[in-house]
Amino acid sequence: MNNGPKQITLEEWDERYMQLQRLGLCEVGYGGVLSRHVQDGDYRLLRLRYDNSAAALRLWNFLLTEEERLHQGRAEGKKIVGTMKDLGTVPVMAYSLDNVVAFYPDGAWWIPCMMELSAGLLEVADSLGIDESFCPVRAMLGAFVTEAHFPIPDMLLCSVGATCDDFSAIAQRLNALGYPILWWEIPHRRNPEPDEAAVRLPGGFLAPQSQVEFVESELERIRAALEKTAGQKLDDESLSAGIKRANKVRKLLAKLRNATFTADICPLPALEMLIAEMLAIHFCSDQDETAAVLKDLVEEVEGRVKEGKGFLDADAARIFWVNPVADLRVMNLLEECGGRICGTEYLFSHALDTIPENLSPMEALARMAIADPMVGSSVDRAQRICADVQRFGSEAVLISRIPGASHCALEGEVICEIVHDKLGLPLVEIEVPVMTDSIRPKLQTQMEALVETVKERRKI
Amino acid sequence: MMTAAETEGSIGRVEGICPFARTFINEALTNQQACGIIMTTLCDQMRRGFDIVCRGNTPAFLMNVPNTWQNTGVQKLYLEELNRLGRFLTGLGGKAPSNGDLIKIMLEYGSARKFILAAKGHLSSRQYSEAIAKFNQDGKTDIEKHTTGKEILTDGIPLAIIGGPLLREDLCLFDVVESCGGLIVLDATETSERGMCAQFDRRRLHEDPLMELANAYFGSIPDASRRPNNQLYDWFEQKLVCRKVRGIIFRRYVWCDIWHAEFYRLKQRIDLPVLDIDVSGKGEALSARIIQRIQAFVEMLR
Repeated sequence: MNNGPKQITLEEWDERYMQLQRLGLCEVGYGGVLSRHVQDGDYRLLRLRYDNSAAALRLWNFLLTEEERLHQGRAEGKKIVGTMKDLGTVPVMAYSLDNVVAFYPDGAWWIPCMMELSAGLLEVADSLGIDESFCPVRAMLGAFVTEAHFPIPDMLLCSVGATCDDFSAIAQRLNALGYPILWWEIPHRRNPEPDEAAVRLPGGFLAPQSQVEFVESELERIRAALEKTAGQKLDDESLSAGIKRANKVRKLLAKLRNATFTADICPLPALEMLIAEMLAIHFCSDQDETAAVLKDLVEEVEGRVKEGKGFLDADAARIFWVNPVADLRVMNLLEECGGRICGTEYLFSHALDTIPENLSPMEALARMAIADPMVGSSVDRAQRICADVQRFGSEAVLISRIPGASHCALEGEVICEIVHDKLGLPLVEIEVPVMTDSIRPKLQTQMEALVETVKERRKI
Repeated sequence: MMTAAETEGSIGRVEGICPFARTFINEALTNQQACGIIMTTLCDQMRRGFDIVCRGNTPAFLMNVPNTWQNTGVQKLYLEELNRLGRFLTGLGGKAPSNGDLIKIMLEYGSARKFILAAKGHLSSRQYSEAIAKFNQDGKTDIEKHTTGKEILTDGIPLAIIGGPLLREDLCLFDVVESCGGLIVLDATETSERGMCAQFDRRRLHEDPLMELANAYFGSIPDASRRPNNQLYDWFEQKLVCRKVRGIIFRRYVWCDIWHAEFYRLKQRIDLPVLDIDVSGKGEALSARIIQRIQAFVEMLR
């Protein structure tokens, strides 16, 4: 159905869309021409470059219609659960109930970028005392106050403890504005003591059994609260089925990541890969559709790999990317500089690892929650990055700092030191604000230097 | 109580880090006397700082201090962390105390706290805060050391100061306030009486001293980092009324998100003028900028 893989503009997508329709494009309900989303205020779309496949079209339309799905869910009488910070665990529980839709208000951090600051969310946050010294996730406060971006949830949950201070402080501010929050504790994951019972977590880390048990007890509180909100029993059987469905998504994503990151020629651009990975966190408010979207992408990528088709030259520098970016345009920039993504750690690798199915569901979820890279030390995170760098054959590491984020001040130093000592790879640390237009030349220079370094090293 | 000037060190140039966390980390990396370093998870930057400190030569321990406090699960976690801390200390050569020994030392500390709190009216505001900070550091109550023989100021516009921990050089803030015609009657920074735990319950102390220790510390110290942190406001409001406070100095470190986020809430919730002072931890207590702002604030309250 597709022409050769190509990155195209939004304008070019209009033409491409008509071409696909003529060729018999089958779309689901939320489908349509991509440029219509600009009318909703998503002006950043005009400056991005997109993969030209029907699978990518479905991915973008799915992402950009989430708000409609949330409103539709409410209209159908479903309960809306806003789950904050844990990035992946609570939605697995919520989607085990058939009348609950869960989403992350944290996702509002992309609104200022997508709407090119036209929504005024950061100004609202400023007016509430949460200024630019905080992470861009402060846009979430504005989204709650304006009530213009997602329906106000029936229930709000937030993990605290081993989380970043920005988010915890902003969530507390939200709470003080009158939004009730059920706080649950996630302790800092530590190494087991020599004689202490330990368990292996998804992703490979070890944790003391006692910590897993503690998290399980916290998740039990969440289970009770979800049952109360939903008016339904959330039994182990439903949870096990929910875990299986989540794993279906995770397995598809693992396939997609593996095929894309290890291909000789890059078969799917960095931007679409980032969006695809984000789906695993809360399924973009529709678990089954997430699986369908990913299945399309896997087929597209596998087809391209088989035919040896893709983007960029085969000698594109293979970059491992650490942390998500507030401005999506930066993902395009890497490719313009001659790099491609071969491995990522976007702060939620625990949402990508398969959840154990041979344990009681609550213990399995507790193990997943405490495997969160943010919950453990930067040393652990660096070790995981090293393992994935080797697995995907990355040639350099790019750490993208999030402005104002409490974890970014120190983690970069630890990660750089460990990755450099262990693998001797070139590294660069950049900072990506909500809108990078004014610092684009600087970022471009940094990325080009990294790409050049990689290519020079190949000659040695 | 740490001194920022002594701690120019390996992470001195890192941007975006809270000055107190930076000071602590640099001190921990360069200190030659400590045989162990204990940090807590109360804020993310200190938790991340542990990743750097633990790679140094001195054994280091990170204690999980939960942010939530409402259920028995987190209280149990805190108790387990106290036990783990005990194992770390015995690993460094310490001796595990019997219950009797623990009770004795808890009673000694309890009496010392009472003694310091009772001395409030006999010390200047700076001496009082200094005495508490010293006690927090080494458990000593040599209050005489903190007295200067100078007459203690008792009049002045009553002010409160609130925020995270102070550094040694910040103590001159108390003098600055007094020289401007104000008087700090409530020090609600972390290194002050706000950071002192509740009195021990004698009956419970004898029944289970470790549990009582956990109750007194985990259960009673109000802090901005707690979720939710209403206890902090309840405590603060009650003290403000008791001490007839007329204005509040909100002192925060730049990049300290936990305190920074509370500023507007405090202004909205408490019907008193609030002065926001952000410091970078470089001994700015005496900077012209801060002195002038305090002068203007006190002037406005006259």
